[in-house]
Amino acid sequence: MKQELVLDVSDLPPPEPLEKVLEATETLASGQYIRMLHRQEPFPLYDVLGDIGFKHLTRVGQKTSFEIFIWRNSDEAAELAVFTTIGGA
Amino acid sequence: MSTPSRLSLTQAPPISVPLRFFFTAPFFGILAALVQINAGPDAVSQWTPTTLAITHLLTLGYISMVMIGAMSQILPVVAGSPLPRPLLVSSVVHTLLTLGVLALASGLLFGRGEAVLIAMFLLGAGLTVFIGAAAYSLILANADNATVSGMRVAIVALAITVVFGLRVAAEHVLHLDLPIAKSWTHAHLTWGFIGWVGILVISVAYEVVPMFQMTPKYPQWMQRWMTKMILVGLLFWTSVYLLAIIDSTIWNILTLLLSFYLAIGLSVFAGVTLYLQSQRQRRIADLTLKFWRLAMVSLLLCTSLWVVGQFWPSLGNWRNIGYLNGMLFIFGFAVSVIIGMLYKIIPFLVWLHLQRQNTRRIKLPNMKEIIPEQRIRWHFVLHLMLLPLLAGVAIKPVWFVYPAATLFGISSLLLLFNIFTALRIYQGYYTSM
Repeated sequence: MKQELVLDVSDLPPPEPLEKVLEATETLASGQYIRMLHRQEPFPLYDVLGDIGFKHLTRVGQKTSFEIFIWRNSDEAAELAVFTTIGGA
Repeated sequence: MSTPSRLSLTQAPPISVPLRFFFTAPFFGILAALVQINAGPDAVSQWTPTTLAITHLLTLGYISMVMIGAMSQILPVVAGSPLPRPLLVSSVVHTLLTLGVLALASGLLFGRGEAVLIAMFLLGAGLTVFIGAAAYSLILANADNATVSGMRVAIVALAITVVFGLRVAAEHVLHLDLPIAKSWTHAHLTWGFIGWVGILVISVAYEVVPMFQMTPKYPQWMQRWMTKMILVGLLFWTSVYLLAIIDSTIWNILTLLLSFYLAIGLSVFAGVTLYLQSQRQRRIADLTLKFWRLAMVSLLLCTSLWVVGQFWPSLGNWRNIGYLNGMLFIFGFAVSVIIGMLYKIIPFLVWLHLQRQNTRRIKLPNMKEIIPEQRIRWHFVLHLMLLPLLAGVAIKPVWFVYPAATLFGISSLLLLFNIFTALRIYQGYYTSM
């Protein structure tokens, strides 16, 4: 099973990126995280993620302007994988 | 100006704040259609009390109702500054506005001065509360983008519209027969249409057209200056128009030039928007885009018709030119933008509020299931058919007034049904959470 689920929403108009990424959070298995590729910072998403028990981390992207990493609050394996990816990249 | 707005949801009001306004508007649409059907073709060619009643059912009951609801939602998100006490303010404003429009329309229809007087108090109070709350929020707004500064101008314009409106209504109640009466009416509707509706749509367009329709941004000069230039134009026009202290030839030329200036301002906005839409990244034209395009084409038609009328007396003096221009502005421009935006905003709000409460992560409907796209498409077709019928009313009222009014009634009923569907979905899931 892949740890990373890449979701490129950079050419979708709002609110489709929000809809797509929340759909994706429902499919996350333990140890998995989402790498969301976006043209702008999705501030509204951060509020929703907080409400439904997810953490996020944003950095300037390579292919798109921003990359947002998203994982479950309680999922330490996923969190470790995110930090390893960010540290290694 | 070009800093990306940091849209925040943490300060968004409860869903009932905007939805109460959105849900009420189609009732006034249906009422306006019924009054028009009952009045028949007589209410077309001249400013009768019935025409005034229908106009206010539409402009206050339908258009302003939605615009106020939308502002209460947009202010915290775009300006980062919510209305103070949003639930209380929206309850008071919504109640006073609803009762006020009903009192005004019935006072005009049944010739009851006391009902108009009551309407003056209700509408004056309701709109003052809204203007005060919105002004408070806009003064405190930490974001300083073109949308926020445009909304400030729109609120000033609304306040001036209300003052002129109260002045005209006082005249109606007190039966003052002053020669200035017609000027006040004209000033009232110019500020209402161009100032309040026009400037608010322009301000909101700066944010929503590039965002939802994936177009390039509006030019910097336009974002910076347009709404302020329209405000200055309106102020000059009003001073010249109402004071009328100068020689009448100069007065005629000045008011005409200032009117041209305003017409050009609106046309530039419509033209630039259509151009930006033609440059959009995504080739699929969704229905919101179609409603906006229709609105911009109607606005261009409206301003062009007015300008041509100034040079071509047989058009300019045609008795129904004012009616046709008014219909193009109200239905072609304002109502098209409103319907397009409602179908974007309502499914999103319902979906978003459900998502945020969905801590148990039950399966929720997606946005397209909240109001089925097919029904929005029907509404677009009905609305598109309405516009040539309204042009028909201006040319041959006896033939077209009944089909046009019936079609708008059906269109409003469909809007009501669609909003109701969305509310039922919200309530159904909300109670199961």
